[in-house]
Amino acid sequence: MTDTIVVTELSKWFGLKVAVSELTIGFRPGVTGLLGPNGAGKTTLLRVMTGLQRPSQGSIQVLGLDPRDHPSIYNRIALVPEDETVYDRLTGRQFVELAARLAKVDRVKERVSAAIEDVGLTDAADRALGGFSKGMKQRAKVAQALVSDPEVLLLDEPLNGADPVQRAHLIDLFRKLGDQGKTVIVSSHVLAEVERMTDRVVAMVDGRLAAVGDVSTIRAAMTDKPRRVYVEASDPRRLASSLIASPGVVGVSIDGDTVHVEASDSGDLARRLPILAAEGGIRLTRVEPVDESLESVFRYLVEGR
Amino acid sequence: MTLALHLYRRMMRRGRVIALVALASVSGLVYWLVGFDAPANDLTGLYTDILASVGYTFVVAALILTAATLREEKDAGTLPYIYLRPIPRAWFAGQALIAGSAAAIVIGICGWLVTVVASIAVGNGIGPTIPALTLFVAAGIGYAAVFVPLGYLAPRSLLIGLGYIIVWETILANVVTGLAQFSIWRISLSIYAGMEDEFGQVATDTLGPVTEGVGGGVAKIAVVVVVGLVVLTWALRRRDAL
Repeated sequence: MTDTIVVTELSKWFGLKVAVSELTIGFRPGVTGLLGPNGAGKTTLLRVMTGLQRPSQGSIQVLGLDPRDHPSIYNRIALVPEDETVYDRLTGRQFVELAARLAKVDRVKERVSAAIEDVGLTDAADRALGGFSKGMKQRAKVAQALVSDPEVLLLDEPLNGADPVQRAHLIDLFRKLGDQGKTVIVSSHVLAEVERMTDRVVAMVDGRLAAVGDVSTIRAAMTDKPRRVYVEASDPRRLASSLIASPGVVGVSIDGDTVHVEASDSGDLARRLPILAAEGGIRLTRVEPVDESLESVFRYLVEGR
Repeated sequence: MTLALHLYRRMMRRGRVIALVALASVSGLVYWLVGFDAPANDLTGLYTDILASVGYTFVVAALILTAATLREEKDAGTLPYIYLRPIPRAWFAGQALIAGSAAAIVIGICGWLVTVVASIAVGNGIGPTIPALTLFVAAGIGYAAVFVPLGYLAPRSLLIGLGYIIVWETILANVVTGLAQFSIWRISLSIYAGMEDEFGQVATDTLGPVTEGVGGGVAKIAVVVVVGLVVLTWALRRRDAL
């Protein structure tokens, strides 16, 4: 699949502060989670990708063009900025309509209504944005981005302030857009939400690329970090003594009925564990890999720096 | 013109408009106070003198208003909603200048209307006030062409703009003859002088070495607008928007 956004050797600095450092990466259609702790450079990267800021070094191509030199591309890409501020005096509908008119879309009224409906804001659309809750403002911001039906949608912390129902609605919407073949990049530090949207993540730490790919591939590539597996067994002590003698097992501890195992190769452990249990007459009641989640992978990436 | 209309509406908030109209009205109020005691045959000259000297309050109002045209969007973080649109940057810059000019002209016309009322009140009639409208319109356009790009480029645009008005326009341009030629207020005054026969002594002194005349003044303002357009277009293309 062809990359719709190509970032090459990108660096962005503000005075002495380096926000993004020598980043080379491509984004393709579908949903990609852009992860990183605060200050990792996510917002700067999104701003540079949209042309709001110039790269200090390197280049950006969105749909084959540099947005700063080709403003015409802005009817094919859209950004939902992180800033909460919107035009408080405008109604939700006027806000989306302004975006539609500036983007020169056809059938403005129809498209505006459709975008508002997509984000579930129809009932409140004719109220002033100043009276909107944070979550409603987020949805209005998403609607203004969707109104031009962009091929590339960049969302900077779009779920901030949204309540659980709104979050679920927006997550479904982003997944749907990704399934339609649009390139959707969602920046977030709430890992559970990103996990619900996509497997594909780009992790940034200190302005640098920490990892790219799906969560399990990234985890598998982290060979220096032993996998942790919790095993509940009928005789945890005997299981622990069997495991400690096994090759590939680097650590074992017991917590009640649970054996905490650290193994350098989780595949090997998965094969060996039932054999050891059968040989020792031990009944296994639960086997749970505990650090295959996005959160633990991300924690390794951040702490490993 | 969606963008120009949006920027204009955003600038012209009720509270701000009232405050700036009050600022731009100082000339009319001063004329009203001074005019009552002035001889009838001096009233028109006095009118031009007060506009030329006290009229700077309108310049400050124009600065506050026009510098905010894009600065407010940048500071509030709403600029992406208008910047990330398929609008050629020269057209974007042009619409910002139109919005800034229109807003400054509206405030200027309100200030001018106060001078009209004052002129009627002191018995000088409407006639002598009509040419003065050109002063407010030309200054509104000229200052917008300077302060809209300044507002976009400089976070402390109000401070820099005030420095320009106080240091350049009122001090340096009085001392260094050549600098007066680059004073927007004097250029606007030269257009007004070209339409008004009874220019007072203070107004003439303020004009200094700048030649009076409508054509020359309009041409100079046009040059200022073109330079402002080029600078703003460059800034939109080449400088970080946020």
